[in-house]
Amino acid sequence: MSAQERAAVIAALNGPTVTAPTRATLLERLDARYGRQFLSETEFARLRAVALRLVPHDPAEMDLSGLIDQRLHQNLSDGWRYADTPADGPAYQGLLAALPSNFETLSGDEQDAAIHKLQADQPHPFEDLLAELTEGFMAHPLTQYRFGYAGFMDAPGWPRVGPNELEAREIAYGESGNDQ
Amino acid sequence: MTNNLELDVLVIGTGAGGAPLLARLAATGLRVLALEAGVRHRPAEMPTDEVAQAGLFWMDERLSAGKDPVGFGRNNSGRGVGGSTLHYTAYTPRAQPDDFELLKEFGQGVDWPLSYADLEPYYDEVEQFLGVSGPSEYPWGPPRQRPYPHPALPLNGAALLMEQAAQQSGIRTSAAANAALSRPQEQEGYGLRPACSNRGFCQAGCSTGAKASLDVTYLALAESKGASIWEGAQVTKLLMQGGRVSGAEFVRDGKTQTLHARQVVLAAGAIETPRLLLLSGVGNSSGQVGRNFMAHVGVQVWGLVDDDLRPYKGIPGGLISEDFHRIPGLVGGYLLQSLGVMPVTYATQYARGTGKWGAALSEHLSQYNHVAGINVLGECLPYAGNFLELSSELDGRGLPKPLIHFSFGENEHRMAEHAEAVMRDLWAKIGAREVWALPRAAHTIGTARMGHDPSTNVVDAFGRSHDTPGLWICDNSTFPSSLSVNPGLTQMALSLRTADALIAELRA
Ligand SMILES: Cc1cc2nc3c(=O)[nH]c(=O)nc-3n(C[C@H](O)[C@H](O)[C@H](O)COP(=O)(O)OP(=O)(O)OC[C@H]3O[C@@H](n4cnc5c(N)ncnc54)[C@H](O)[C@@H]3O)c2cc1C
Ligand code: SF4
Repeated sequence: MSAQERAAVIAALNGPTVTAPTRATLLERLDARYGRQFLSETEFARLRAVALRLVPHDPAEMDLSGLIDQRLHQNLSDGWRYADTPADGPAYQGLLAALPSNFETLSGDEQDAAIHKLQADQPHPFEDLLAELTEGFMAHPLTQYRFGYAGFMDAPGWPRVGPNELEAREIAYGESGNDQ
Repeated sequence: MTNNLELDVLVIGTGAGGAPLLARLAATGLRVLALEAGVRHRPAEMPTDEVAQAGLFWMDERLSAGKDPVGFGRNNSGRGVGGSTLHYTAYTPRAQPDDFELLKEFGQGVDWPLSYADLEPYYDEVEQFLGVSGPSEYPWGPPRQRPYPHPALPLNGAALLMEQAAQQSGIRTSAAANAALSRPQEQEGYGLRPACSNRGFCQAGCSTGAKASLDVTYLALAESKGASIWEGAQVTKLLMQGGRVSGAEFVRDGKTQTLHARQVVLAAGAIETPRLLLLSGVGNSSGQVGRNFMAHVGVQVWGLVDDDLRPYKGIPGGLISEDFHRIPGLVGGYLLQSLGVMPVTYATQYARGTGKWGAALSEHLSQYNHVAGINVLGECLPYAGNFLELSSELDGRGLPKPLIHFSFGENEHRMAEHAEAVMRDLWAKIGAREVWALPRAAHTIGTARMGHDPSTNVVDAFGRSHDTPGLWICDNSTFPSSLSVNPGLTQMALSLRTADALIAELRA
């Protein structure tokens, strides 16, 4: 349940095992929301629908599509691009335009079939979009909590690094951690 | 705006090529200044977070073409006071003597204009100064004059699993040499650097100073000896006067400025160095600038194990094997190394490498704590089709973006196949599940090659431009071959060697 998870994340971030710069970064990301600025309303709605199929998540918890729109708006690059692909903005717009016009109202299976076709037809732009969504997802503190990732609690260091040599804070943190 | 400083040497770039040299020149009493496009990243201000640390990388857009386009950005190049060493894994193997003589041994590639013996004293000096941690007996290469200054760092999960699998396969392994401290060390010009706390985020910048990035080592020394470092100063052009390179034009705080010096050292890395030379129309009478671009065969193999490995813990580069330094039927060879990995890096590599999405993607990523990896770094030969040129597309400064063509040749394909089979076999031995391989090229090498013949090389054996006086190049662009080891230590050794040649020339 998200409220409890959020509380656990915030408690960990405010604890003594997290350094100040790490805390500031992750607290900000936990609640980051973006207004649409680059894509058109139609494009943005479609991006949200695609994003849900590519990287299942709750958009109320993490604004992965907004994150992408924001980057495109700021014209930030990740440092490189396939030479055969247009700039990121037009490339993503091209991906969205290539989907069936009723994409948002299709069933999940039909959406997936359309996405498979997109992946085959435009492999490079598709790979970039998938990677960018995956990055936003994996970097989010709630995902990290659910996957039992505790690496940000490193202020005291990790004296033991062998297999199964867990510190108490690693065992205690996160859903997969609790399962062990 | 012209800055009227009386400079002996102007250095462009403060990475593995620029920094040791800057310290050496300053210690000799020369008036030296370095221009660095990036800013200072102070260890204590670094979050343990990969996304927030994107500023350690060169994020200006590069265009990648060819059959095996090279990823840049967070993959391949740094920006900041310290260059790519801010985010390197700090593996510091030495090259072996035969690495410098591929042509002699195989009739392919080119030989270096220098030998292992020329570099040996510099290797030793760099290892001692950085405080490399390593094994007391290293099984490969010539014996070293002095042991590593610190004992090896502890092996993490992936390293221990690789060790176990290699034993069953009869492959020798060793704890790797790492430029991260297993014991605290007093660093001249900086102060006390603590021992590594095993936080595993070396590739997002070390927040403790345990890792020997150049900001806490050679650059601190350089500044303590009187060198100046101007951060946030991106060079846009080399300046000429009377047929010699006399300085550089750069943009700082939005203003275009110039600086002049008796000698200029270009140390901007294997992409920006040839780009600047081409932009300035300098140093290219051989037509070789931008040519001979190489990137190591860098295939990685990943799998899931039942053990809780926590791949974020421990120095990411723990175990090494150079048993495949030579492989019958192939030119050159590769080394094997174990891999720790940060979560976002793993996740995006998995998405790109497998193309998986939806439930299959999140299901796999939810097992991040059980991920174990190995990779190789293998020889890459220079090919005519692999080169950098200026694209017709302009960047935010109105300068052409670099366009890099890269395709593996036959030797690289066969080496990658060989390596993938070896690594899959190792991971089968430990019962890893969902094993997958990421084909990959690592490190940017070549583009301004060193060699004796001015008609086929850009610089001489010391990094001195063959055709334009006043210009020196000191970075990974000068490597004539890729070497089958990580390039950082060799680059720092070359940097000190170039410094000695420069000092001799200035005194002559
Ligand atoms: C993720 C990663 C891990 C690595 N791990 C290892 C490892 O374990 N061991 C190893 O040996 N090597 C490793 N390397 C490689 C190593 O970092 C490089 O070989 C080495 O740093 C290259 O040195 P350089 O001087 O050529 O360039 P860099 O160190 O990249 O320095 C170039 C500098 O020039 C600056 N610059 C560029 N253009 C301009 C301009 N126009 N004006 C002003 N400044 C400019 C840049 O900002 C940068 O600071 C790794 C690299 C990466 C990307
Ligand atoms: S593992 Fe050691 S060297 Fe690497 S970032 Fe952590 S403290 Fe620094």
